[in-house]
Amino acid sequence: MENRRGGTFNIRCAVNGGKVEREIDPSRTLLEFIREDLGLKGTKEGCGEGECGACLVLVDGKAVNSCLMMAVQLHGKHLTTIEGLKGRDGGLHPLQRTFMEEGAVQCGFCTPGAIMASEALLRENPGATLEDIKLGLTGNLCRCTGYEKIISAVEKAKQLL
Amino acid sequence: MPHATVVKPANLKALWKLLPSISPKRKYLAGGTDLVTGANTGLNSAETWVDISDLKELRGIKETAAAVIIGAGVKISELEGSRLVGRWLPVLHAAIPHFASPSLRNMATIGGNAANASPCSDGACALCAEKAWVWLELKGKRRKLPLAALFKGPKKTALKKDELIIAFEIPKWKHEGAYLKLGPRSYFGISKVSVAAALEMDGGSVKTASIALASVAPVPLLARKTADYLAGRILNEENARTAAALVKAEVSPITDVRSEAAYRREMAGVLLARALGRIGRRGENL
Repeated sequence: MENRRGGTFNIRCAVNGGKVEREIDPSRTLLEFIREDLGLKGTKEGCGEGECGACLVLVDGKAVNSCLMMAVQLHGKHLTTIEGLKGRDGGLHPLQRTFMEEGAVQCGFCTPGAIMASEALLRENPGATLEDIKLGLTGNLCRCTGYEKIISAVEKAKQLL
Repeated sequence: MPHATVVKPANLKALWKLLPSISPKRKYLAGGTDLVTGANTGLNSAETWVDISDLKELRGIKETAAAVIIGAGVKISELEGSRLVGRWLPVLHAAIPHFASPSLRNMATIGGNAANASPCSDGACALCAEKAWVWLELKGKRRKLPLAALFKGPKKTALKKDELIIAFEIPKWKHEGAYLKLGPRSYFGISKVSVAAALEMDGGSVKTASIALASVAPVPLLARKTADYLAGRILNEENARTAAALVKAEVSPITDVRSEAAYRREMAGVLLARALGRIGRRGENL
């Protein structure tokens, strides 16, 4: 990573499987980089304090709150956003399908973050129990569904992965 | 946008060389979970953040014959999966599920958790009970403090300007541990009170004890009188009740948005009795 004149940084990273190289303002958060520089609007800003999980993405396969990570910290790493999730057939990812089938989506604002948290959980623990799923989603707030349907969707997706 | 610029030294040597050339209004950036949160809510006073998140010198969990050494840059989620933490640090291990959320545990570092000096810190409270020491470095010179001595008040530490937490050194001692936290939610909440208990047992008796509490004093608190009382005593209900009464006299909680002082004081005793009971039941004394 180079610190250019004028204080910008040149970062190289992988985004949803493709190589990206950008000159960025070092005061940008990862969330701003994703939404404004890359134009990937699936990742949402909720609280800006790490409480709600709407901004969750995967960095090197681990869930992180993109509102609290600086974009320069993505240098050399792999970013996966909700747009990068796909099923084996190239269509919807099993979690995206089961969230729809189980009615785990109402207003939809928390959904990308909840799906990314679930994806991180099932990648790390494919046999996650009900308790594991509840703990895995402790950082994701949903004001519509009451969580039961989200948990059902993750349990169903677990069978399909 | 946080309105701070970020600089990123490649290693510790480069860090000490870099500092004189940047704004004196600077702070270290590690996991970002406190620093960026503050900035996002308008509480940042630094012009420059020095990104230390990739410094190799701050990484890794190692052991010596007498201690476990945890690099300050180790993420909380790395502690969760560590064989050394599981084997030697039962209080810290028990505290990890109570530490924020899975995604924040992937970001937050144990060094940043201590540097933030929050009285409610789960990591600092657990490490104090584990009798941790902290290694600090300033311009190549290192010094070592008992971790409890690092904390001087809410968000205040003994760190000098630019001094950096390098690692934690936790002595290996054979002990049982428990960590109990009371918050507004079962998980992912800031505590009203937390109790960390480490007991070296000799049959049914306590040989030595180390008790720490969070959110009931201006700093993560070592309850020395309570620990001294437990040492040499049988771990039974009567002694647990006395220890609970003692700890209530050692804490100095305040009333704030999260809880009331009287409730915190009462629950400090309740949680300590529960923690002792949990350890005692493993030995079938309680």
